[in-house]
Amino acid sequence: MKNVLKKSVLTLASLGLAASVLAGCNGDAEEAGNADEFKGKITIWDGPRWPDKDDNKYHWLEAKIKEYEEAHDGVEVELVQVPWAEMGDKLGVAIAGKSWPDIAPVDISGSSVSIDHIEQGVIEPLDAYFDKDAKADFYENALDAYTYDGKMYGIPNAITLHSMLLNLDLFEEAGVTPPEGGEWTYDEFLDAAKKLTFDRDGDGKTDVYGFSTYVLPGYYESWPFFYKNGGSPLNEDMTEFTFDDPETVQAIQDLADLKLKENAAPETLGGNDVGGTFQAWANEEQRTVAMQPWATWAIGAAQGKYPTNFAVANYPTGKSDKPVTIGGVGGWVMFHQDEDANKKAAVADFMKFISTDKEQFVMAQNYGIFPARISASEMDPFKDNPEMTRAMEMSDQVVMLPRHPEWQKIDEAIQTQLQLVFNGEKTAEEAMADAKKTVDELLK
Amino acid sequence: MTQIPMGAVPKKDNEKLKVLKKPNKNVFLQMKKNYSAYLFLLPKLILFVLFVAIPVIWAFVLSFQEYKIFGSEFVGLDNYIKVFQSEAFLVALKNTLLFTVVTVPFSVLSALVIASMIFVLGKVSQSFFRSAFYLPTVTSMVIIAMVWRWMYNYEFGLFNYILGWFGIEQINWLGQSSSALWALIIMQCLIPFGVGIIMYLASMGSISHSLYEAARMDGASSFKQWLHITIPLLKPTTLYLVLLSTIGSFQVFTQIIMMTGGGPGNATETLVHLIYKTGFRDFEFGLAAAQSVVLFVIILIFSIIQFRVLRHDE
Amino acid sequence: MKKKPLDKVNKLILYVLLTIFAVVSLLPLYWVFSTSLQLNSYQSQDMERPVSYVDSNPPKMYPMGIPLYFEHWGEARDAAKSGDAKEEAYHRDMMDHIVDNTFSSYENLFKKNDVGKWFFNSFYIAVVVTFGILLLDAMAGYVLAKKKFPGRNLIFWVIISTMMIPGQVTLVPLFIMVGNLDLMNTHWALILPDLSMVFGVFLMRQFMYSIPDELLEAAKMDGASEWRTFWTVVLPLAKPGLAALGIFTFMNVWNSFLWPIIVLNSSKLYTLPVGLKTLQDANLASFKLLMSGAAVSAIPMIIVFILFQRYFVKGLTLGGVKE
Repeated sequence: MKNVLKKSVLTLASLGLAASVLAGCNGDAEEAGNADEFKGKITIWDGPRWPDKDDNKYHWLEAKIKEYEEAHDGVEVELVQVPWAEMGDKLGVAIAGKSWPDIAPVDISGSSVSIDHIEQGVIEPLDAYFDKDAKADFYENALDAYTYDGKMYGIPNAITLHSMLLNLDLFEEAGVTPPEGGEWTYDEFLDAAKKLTFDRDGDGKTDVYGFSTYVLPGYYESWPFFYKNGGSPLNEDMTEFTFDDPETVQAIQDLADLKLKENAAPETLGGNDVGGTFQAWANEEQRTVAMQPWATWAIGAAQGKYPTNFAVANYPTGKSDKPVTIGGVGGWVMFHQDEDANKKAAVADFMKFISTDKEQFVMAQNYGIFPARISASEMDPFKDNPEMTRAMEMSDQVVMLPRHPEWQKIDEAIQTQLQLVFNGEKTAEEAMADAKKTVDELLK
Repeated sequence: MTQIPMGAVPKKDNEKLKVLKKPNKNVFLQMKKNYSAYLFLLPKLILFVLFVAIPVIWAFVLSFQEYKIFGSEFVGLDNYIKVFQSEAFLVALKNTLLFTVVTVPFSVLSALVIASMIFVLGKVSQSFFRSAFYLPTVTSMVIIAMVWRWMYNYEFGLFNYILGWFGIEQINWLGQSSSALWALIIMQCLIPFGVGIIMYLASMGSISHSLYEAARMDGASSFKQWLHITIPLLKPTTLYLVLLSTIGSFQVFTQIIMMTGGGPGNATETLVHLIYKTGFRDFEFGLAAAQSVVLFVIILIFSIIQFRVLRHDE
Repeated sequence: MKKKPLDKVNKLILYVLLTIFAVVSLLPLYWVFSTSLQLNSYQSQDMERPVSYVDSNPPKMYPMGIPLYFEHWGEARDAAKSGDAKEEAYHRDMMDHIVDNTFSSYENLFKKNDVGKWFFNSFYIAVVVTFGILLLDAMAGYVLAKKKFPGRNLIFWVIISTMMIPGQVTLVPLFIMVGNLDLMNTHWALILPDLSMVFGVFLMRQFMYSIPDELLEAAKMDGASEWRTFWTVVLPLAKPGLAALGIFTFMNVWNSFLWPIIVLNSSKLYTLPVGLKTLQDANLASFKLLMSGAAVSAIPMIIVFILFQRYFVKGLTLGGVKE
């Protein structure tokens, strides 16, 4: 376990050096304010996390708020509960309506809160509250995700990534051996998917399919498949769309052909039904799909609410021979504050209060995410959790999405074209050529 | 939600306009005398100014601006140029037009046919069927969209099962461009036009018996009577219903966001969904305002044309 | 139109056709309730794996709990007769399971989701707006119809002309305004714009014309104040119009969707339609749960409709309202 962690630490550190150099130096000496002198209200948004015994999914933050309020007379923290599926849209709307909260959980790389907002001054830099030593406890790529123009725009809280989840019962039923160590090539994956597609009761209808996933703006479960031959959506300096290179086009077509040619995936592959897809894999009464890629929260769900006998595996490798997955970094962000420096300090103080190593450890254990603090990882949150440990090993395969101010629109242009590939209306080549037109326009 | 007035406003109003033209002194006197009337109007007026009048004017102003969180700037006609140059808008316009052109005639015609069928029944059956057709329309579109999405489900949906009875292969209704918009159109057509049925029934009730008596004397069949007496006399109602459902169908939104999100690709993108996306996902307020002004103008033009056509061939 | 008696064959055809149409139009609502009560986990002794009748192909046309319950009930009775206590207990357990599972999603909705809160929010907002609209629009409609004062026609025409403008036009500016007034993520953001809807003013004005001037004069003679006249003479006379307007306002507010999804952030403040959307967006919701939510949201409007049917008809024919 320790080894895995060390390895992850190292590889995470090796990612994205350029910006982290800048992140290292301290921001300008701003008036830091005095948190203790602040009296008033702090508003924080959060989504549902893990439930307590009364099924309250906000109990963790509620308890922290209570604790903080008791320690700080005159400070009131208001929690606004926002479902995760709405969080991005709602934050965007709140920003546009200038009614943002003080704190919200945001992945600033390519979601509703973007570089564009940072440039407009909606997000407060936190450098005044974190010295070099305080920053050193965060994994560099986690910190990097919150660094722009040399300033730190949030406290990294958790690292997430996507992995393949394999239903071992179905593997056994079909007589397929799961990939050794969770490592496989695309051909091996294809072979498994075909064998895992079978007619259980002999009525001529397929009961179980090998693979499924969906394609929807803002969701990246299927994307590592498109990176398998070494491609990426944009070139390095983000001036050009590159998902249309022949290798990537081939990778996209391969996955679509899993349904269109090999019939090893259900008709709904590449559709937009997130819930239905998950149910098909996890729900005891269904289990009609053997393999699906999901973000790490699904590991928690398959260990808890939907008990499933499953294993975690890498995405299959293609021509680049290197397994790839897409990851993200979640964290707390402070929104634009008016002149009150004391309030700003108090908000930062509360943000620190909920992102200590202890809190990140608790969250990692209960919520299926990887801590962004090195010290929290060293507390070994996944000691008794082989699936999470396996997923964590994949952190050295993580690539981040391009951080372009217009990413949301670029993403939508690509994903809507991908949908047309998966329902067989366009070839991958045609679709990516069409996507290129829109995306290159946005990149100008 | 839209509402438009039915029928003309009483003529009396025009006479009252004279009040305004009287000399100033008199006006002040009149105003003083009637201060209580202003007090009665005041609460509604304040709300109206704040939440209707100012926003309407503001929308036009915004459509010439680029909105930024800290300070906006005027950009002339840029937004309008963008609207007509963007493929997304043209696709949304095309989809919305197709949706309207199919569903409006179908809805109004089917309301007319069903109302005519109900009308000849006895009182009890009449009110029973009237309720049966109106009931589905009191529930919110959110619910209707949720259940239709479920009925259109590829694997477990009711429709693919029913198609199976006729030996037709499963259809990925909402999942492919060729069928997605039509799935929404079919859905709209099969939701009864309850308002239409009730209004037709009411109008039919007010047609004088003597007209039919006379026609029967001349030996006209029931169908002929329907065609030559009922339909022409129902024309004002028809006009109203066509306008009403056209306006409604240009604003189709809830089905889109609940069932397809505009996809696959942009096969089911509609104008209002695009406005919503431009405004509240991309936050290009100026552009969204311009799009909504264009929508308003399109609806206005359509209304005028329909008004002219349906009035003309009287 | 005079009704002449139809001959029997024609009548039969008419009834058959209308019944078919009615079934088609009511089918979706039936499907909401049927799915919400469908058994989604069932495993009898002789079944290898549990099955769900919700996600089943072919779909089940009615809640399977009903026949299965009676089946087990019969078996339990037979087992009791033959003295097989173990078998009887098994069937009794299965009967309990079937009942539990049939209603499980409704329990789940209120216990594990905020549906109770959403229901309350929708309800109280609809009630507040309805009564607010009735009062404000009756006041405005009354003076616009019965009083002569400078500016009356100007005000009326300005108000009426905005009725032609689709709501989407004001979406963005209204949003900015609500933000500036610091009303985002509050119920005021829903209530105030709803209260400013102008259709009721038009409707009430039309209605108020029918009140005889003599009655108003008589009240004035008795020395009643304007407010008293309005309250004791005008409002009672306007009751049928108020009932119609009230019902449509309630329905519109209860069902409104586009604006609430924009201005409400906190899930505690959601109204039912917004909440239903988030249920659908959440990854783990089953169709049984979604349809239960839809049913909970549909039931109040169905009750209102059944209770006040005649006002619906009246409201539609009075002024032409569209939902």
